Amino acid sequence: MIDLEFDRVSKKYLIQQELNGGGTRFPLRGRLRKLTGNYGDFWALKDVSFQVTRGETLGIIGPNGAGKSTILKLLSKITAPTSGEITINGRLSALIEVGSGFHPELTGRENIYLSGSILGMGRREIAKKLDSIIEFAGVHQFVDTPVKRYSSGMYVRLGFSIAAHLQPDILLLDEVLAVGDVYFQAKCYDRIMNLKDGGTTIVFISHDLNAVEFLCDRALLLDYGAVAGEGLPSDIISQYRLAANGAAAPGPLEDRSDGAPKPIQITRLTFHDCEEREVLQAVTGQPLIARVEFTASQPLRGLDFQIFYYSHDAKLHCQFSTSLGCEPTDIDRGEGTVQFWCAELGLQPGIYYADATIKRRADGKEIDWQYRSAILRVEPGKRVSGNFYAPHQWRITQPKEAAAGAILYERECEGQLTTDAIHICHEDSTRGKGTIGLE
Amino acid sequence: MTNDWIAHPIASAVLPTDTRPVTVIRSPSSARLSTIKRLIELAHYRDLLYTLTVHRIKVRYKQSILGMSWAIIQPVSMTIAFTAVFSLIARMPSGGRPYAVFAYVALLPWNFFSSSVTNATGGIVSHSQLITKVYFPREILPITYVLAALVDFLIASSVLAALMVFYRIPLNAQIVWVLPIILVLTAFSLSIALLFSATQVRVRDIGMAMPLLLQLWMLATPIVYPLSAVPERLRYVYMLNPLVAIVENFRRVILYASTPDFASLGTSALISVILLFASYFYFKRVEVTMADII
Repeated sequence: MIDLEFDRVSKKYLIQQELNGGGTRFPLRGRLRKLTGNYGDFWALKDVSFQVTRGETLGIIGPNGAGKSTILKLLSKITAPTSGEITINGRLSALIEVGSGFHPELTGRENIYLSGSILGMGRREIAKKLDSIIEFAGVHQFVDTPVKRYSSGMYVRLGFSIAAHLQPDILLLDEVLAVGDVYFQAKCYDRIMNLKDGGTTIVFISHDLNAVEFLCDRALLLDYGAVAGEGLPSDIISQYRLAANGAAAPGPLEDRSDGAPKPIQITRLTFHDCEEREVLQAVTGQPLIARVEFTASQPLRGLDFQIFYYSHDAKLHCQFSTSLGCEPTDIDRGEGTVQFWCAELGLQPGIYYADATIKRRADGKEIDWQYRSAILRVEPGKRVSGNFYAPHQWRITQPKEAAAGAILYERECEGQLTTDAIHICHEDSTRGKGTIGLE
Repeated sequence: MTNDWIAHPIASAVLPTDTRPVTVIRSPSSARLSTIKRLIELAHYRDLLYTLTVHRIKVRYKQSILGMSWAIIQPVSMTIAFTAVFSLIARMPSGGRPYAVFAYVALLPWNFFSSSVTNATGGIVSHSQLITKVYFPREILPITYVLAALVDFLIASSVLAALMVFYRIPLNAQIVWVLPIILVLTAFSLSIALLFSATQVRVRDIGMAMPLLLQLWMLATPIVYPLSAVPERLRYVYMLNPLVAIVENFRRVILYASTPDFASLGTSALISVILLFASYFYFKRVEVTMADII
């Protein structure tokens, strides 16, 4: 069942060209000409086709100016396509920037009616939902106060609450999730998941790739007004990230050191899983192998190999190094590989760029430095809060009342966070003691 | 902050397949919607029309001490000024009725026209935030300004009733003609409101020219002087202004308790209806790109 279909949709905008010269002598003529012609064409969308099936959540991603907002505007009928056809099967609502349509002089209650009817609700429908909207927004005390007296948080909550009470068959989501405090965002996600579970078809347009991956069943990558990719969110996000960095794969390396011929050179940086398969992705808390391949034109002594991991904002997150508590390495002429094993990857989900370097320990000078050699996508594995995952073990100790008297329970877990592996062994309870331990 | 509101569930319901409306969006050139379909769509949005109009009226007088009485103060002050200038100083003929009521009865329809056109012209541009974010039939905005002006008109009419009682001007059955005259006036005001508000989106000159235009238009309408003061040979040109017949007939049925002049009123009605359709058509054509050029 197709709920939404774009069939070869194009949208052309006219861009006004400022006329050079002549404008001062005949200002009116120049202006008139500007109004009648002399426009430049700009195709915001060109021959875009896609479908969204019932109950599906489609994420649309892409760089600025790729046409994402144009799709949103076309779907919500704010502007019309230049050619092509859009079919919408059901009631469509857009969860737009909250609070647009509010009038500052009107009270909260009046604004619920105003904003609600702008979003397409009937007066009777609003009256029925009024209490729920007020309660949801948590503005009970202030419902008869003009919204210009509201705190910005109340304003945003009321706006979202109205929008959240829409009952669309198809929901358009813009960057609304990016505003508000953590409670508000949690509320947004909650409501969206609620709609999703209820069978609402969702189109989510966002720059927040993590949110797209979390919410969407499928993703569409737009670039220069055309569909550049379509598929699983994780694949499309990888494609987008790689394209955005101009590196199709961890292939030819960019050289950051000086131009002189180097005695040793890094040729490749790759990542592997524990079965030695080359991967572009890793999982938090799972093993990861990183492999640096090099070619040396002469034997070298006292070297250290290092890999640095940066997030997209150029923040250094961690490092693999041969220098930790070890003697420096000596290298013979020819090709070779340095392999790093990481038993439990500590990086949180996200996109990381890796630099590979070879350094002489004696003077600390980099002989080779390959800048942004590879991209590593870390996917959610072990879900922990904080900046990174720290491998850890745990044990519970608790005196507990039992029929036969006090029994000391002991549980522990080593290496694994799962409790499946724990076997319980009871000692004779008449002796008043027992243990639960790991086998 | 408590987490109470986070846990609050909202009922949702997705429509079954057979009751879902299907919308097809095409390029404006290949999808000419008929006027009837557009009016049906407008009818779907009647709740928004109502809510916006009510709020238009409420907002106008918010945080003002005199509130709704401004709807009366404005025409009353103008009448006092006109009476001072044209009756005490200039000795303008007023057809055997006191000048104050003669001017006031004409100012009522004029103010209705003038405030609906002035407010509606900037009405779309001042809602650009909404226009670029949400879809609704855009003509709702100018219509709400016209309806709000109609409410002011009704409020100000109470002063007319008081003046009539004060000056002991008799009424008869001809007063019912007021209703069709108001209808024609509303149609004409709406057509100008649609035309100007749509044009203002593209060229802001309309808004700039508005005060001047309305001043000239007022002088070209028999408000401070009677129609009889206009030279006979200029009448044909003069009558092209639909407001002439509207204002003159409004005055005639109320002050002089006579039947309206059907020829002039009919012409005005015809012009208003044709203009209304033309303006609506034009408005809907501009509407398609409104969000792009606003």
